[in-house]
Amino acid sequence: MDFNSVKEYLFDAARQAGLDEYEVYFMESDGISAETLKDEISSFSSAVSGGICFRCIVDGKIGSAATELFTKEEMAELVERAKNNAKYIENDDRAIIYKGSSKYAEISPINMATSDAAEIKSVALDLIKKTYEQSEYITDGTQTYAVQEKTKMILANSHGLYLESEVGVSGALVQAVVAKDGESQYGGDLETGFDKEKLEKLPREAIDEALSKIGAKEIPSGRYDIIFDGKQMRALLSAFCSVFSGRNAYLGLSLLKGKEGEKIAAECLTLIDDPMYPTSPMQTAFDGEGVATYKKNVIENGVLKTLLYDLASADKEGRESTGNGQRASYSSTVSISPFHFYIEGGEQSDDELFAKLGNGIYITELKGLHAGANAVTGDFSIESAGFEIKNGKIGSAIKSFTVAGNFFELIKNIESLSSNVKFGFPAGFTVFGAPNTLVRGCSVAGT
Amino acid sequence: MIKQELLSEVLYAALSRGGDFAEIFCEHTRSNVLSFVDGKIDKINDNVLSGVGIRVFLGERTVYASTSDISREGLLSCAYSVADALSEGKAPISICLTRKKVIDMHPVKINPVSADISQKSDILKSACFAAKEYHPLISQVTGSLAAVKHDILVANSEGLLCEDSHTRTRIAVGAVASENGENQSGSASPGRGMGLEMFDLISPVETGRRAAEQAMVNLRASYCEAGQMTVAIENGFGGVIFHEACGHSLEATQVGVGMSEMCGKLGQKIANEKITAIDDGTIAGAWGSTNIDDEGNPTQRNVLIENGVLKGYMVDRLGSRRMGMAMTGNSRRQSYAYEPTSRMTNTFIDNGPDKNEDIIASIEYGLYAKQMGGGSVNPLTGAFNFAVTEGYMVRNGKICEAVRGASLIGTGSKILQDIDMVGQNLATGQGMCGSSSGSIPTDVGQPLIRVKKITVGGR
Repeated sequence: MDFNSVKEYLFDAARQAGLDEYEVYFMESDGISAETLKDEISSFSSAVSGGICFRCIVDGKIGSAATELFTKEEMAELVERAKNNAKYIENDDRAIIYKGSSKYAEISPINMATSDAAEIKSVALDLIKKTYEQSEYITDGTQTYAVQEKTKMILANSHGLYLESEVGVSGALVQAVVAKDGESQYGGDLETGFDKEKLEKLPREAIDEALSKIGAKEIPSGRYDIIFDGKQMRALLSAFCSVFSGRNAYLGLSLLKGKEGEKIAAECLTLIDDPMYPTSPMQTAFDGEGVATYKKNVIENGVLKTLLYDLASADKEGRESTGNGQRASYSSTVSISPFHFYIEGGEQSDDELFAKLGNGIYITELKGLHAGANAVTGDFSIESAGFEIKNGKIGSAIKSFTVAGNFFELIKNIESLSSNVKFGFPAGFTVFGAPNTLVRGCSVAGT
Repeated sequence: MIKQELLSEVLYAALSRGGDFAEIFCEHTRSNVLSFVDGKIDKINDNVLSGVGIRVFLGERTVYASTSDISREGLLSCAYSVADALSEGKAPISICLTRKKVIDMHPVKINPVSADISQKSDILKSACFAAKEYHPLISQVTGSLAAVKHDILVANSEGLLCEDSHTRTRIAVGAVASENGENQSGSASPGRGMGLEMFDLISPVETGRRAAEQAMVNLRASYCEAGQMTVAIENGFGGVIFHEACGHSLEATQVGVGMSEMCGKLGQKIANEKITAIDDGTIAGAWGSTNIDDEGNPTQRNVLIENGVLKGYMVDRLGSRRMGMAMTGNSRRQSYAYEPTSRMTNTFIDNGPDKNEDIIASIEYGLYAKQMGGGSVNPLTGAFNFAVTEGYMVRNGKICEAVRGASLIGTGSKILQDIDMVGQNLATGQGMCGSSSGSIPTDVGQPLIRVKKITVGGR
């Protein structure tokens, strides 16, 4: 059954069930990935999945139910399940099936992932070959990956709103394993896109990263000045992203409650959510409720300008939705999250930032953020690795220490940012980005 | 789920252009999750997951494809896409599927998915209200009651055809205590491979109180001191230390490709002799148990480490080919969309020789980690981390003031030697473990243990 037939069946069933306001949200994903080991493709996979979520208003409450089974019987049952679920909802959110925004942004033509299986395989194979060629220290266990994912979304409702969009992303990863001086180390990171020049550099970068970690030493506990690499700063931002949810603030689950308009961070910090970030294949003109998305400064020069809202949380605050009511999958209920969420770059080059740091630590790895960071309290205590910085220059590799602090204090203590914003691979439908970030006086536990 | 003739047809199609083994995994999963916040039932997430995953092996190479289109055309198209990706001639294989009976070791009394929502709502609310009423400073309570019924069918070109059903139920409560513009949190989230009869064993009210108690302890706690010290880790979810520090490194996923610090160490003494560690997917009604794994093999009890000596790995079909070892019933996946791989089930350090009171009494200065949060590991280097969600300083053999914000870091091979006392109150805790085949329910467990020296992250 294609989407339009599904929609007709559902809407018929909904009318027969006496419903006035209802909506169907459809999401279909198509992904392929190749993985190599030694000199061949060790694993190749493709996945096609599609599902729908039906939402309706019953006695002022929103009920929903989702399925991947597109049969006539299932459609009728889906409506019944959603109706029944609505009966047990107790929250006092205003139930809204959205009538539509007056205008939606145009998606610019983008470099949408369109490689076929053969190309994906050849990217992975080419990378593994080059990786083995480029270092005598490479050992088996070294792997490369190439992936591509496309997701199509359609939202249609009883008000006649019909919106369609497609996002897609591709990426490649070299995970280099090196053995040197009796020690094994790894290096590598997932890079977005199959840009030839970037791919060319991946093996060398992964190898250099792995080799640089050999012989890493431990450091004494104490207070250190730190530069977080942009990749780590964006991971930290991702771990604390939920503090910017207007709904969490309303519920007292974020300490940013009541802080809009106040200075909460260092003057140099501007944090942006841009659904239409130029050149990104993840550009999205509407959110999971059908609200038009737009670019906004969440923090501007240290001042919290706005939190992020969906329809229900905005209604509670007597304001407009910021177009951040997202759906993580077809089956997920609406939850608040940003699109391209990044810390704006500063004016300094990376080298100037190291010079400014003088002596301290450059952190290039943060591990276990899902466990070591608590968004409700802001506290974090994270396994880290990186390099010593002496007189502004990168020195010995260091490992086995933790950095601990509080996110809300950390953003106040940012002294300086480099100009080079590093964006990551999408986490769900959010892409995080940050430049290298200098923070003074962080707590480090080592030996 | 899908007719036997069609299953054979799909397997033949998958092998039509080469390969020496084909498998089809069919899944129909019903889930129903109630969420609670701010004193009210807030959301109900209600879903049907339905699809198949088809896999072909050629030696140590695999091709995998999945689809949610389970029509005959959808299945065949998926099978041919696997065949095309392999494209290495034609395999002379004849397939004769024989249905194998699966004995249900985990019978469910009350199906938690189809149970009346009002019954589930009452259970969840009793837990959340108990948390809220625990103390006036408890400012917010979140909660969820998740019910999942997972029906699977596995058929392969060796003739295996079996079906199984697996049900699980979990309640989770998160409490926030607030004072003077500061938040602290606590949580409790027991689950079982059972239906709603789980609540005959586990009190929702106690679960709620436990979450609130932890939030209050943390509100009154000061920051943990940083540095290396002796640490006693309590039973239950404390077992996450073994899960992260060693368990992942014993999975064929890592060992089979040489990406584990435990490679080639079978028969060697890798841990203190007080340590015996087991992965057991057969424990009745446990969170990580199933009758069969996701390749159709019966789950089993695998001794991983016995008195400090490495006895075995956790091996799936691909790992079995790579390592030349027997499969151990550990192949698992989140859903049909994931290619399965070797994973843990219920993994724990067994009771040891030391009395619990002796363990605390032996510590002059250190940390007592009463409750652990999650963590992660790099299996290659063995470097791991995990969070302490409720901790206390220990001085002169006595448990003293509460401390917060601590984490523990170290390496697997070292900590296995440094666990020098093992107590006698084995208990398990429930977690969701994330890896390449998705997020799956796993039990971790241990009695109270002592780690002679480990880095404690604090400030």
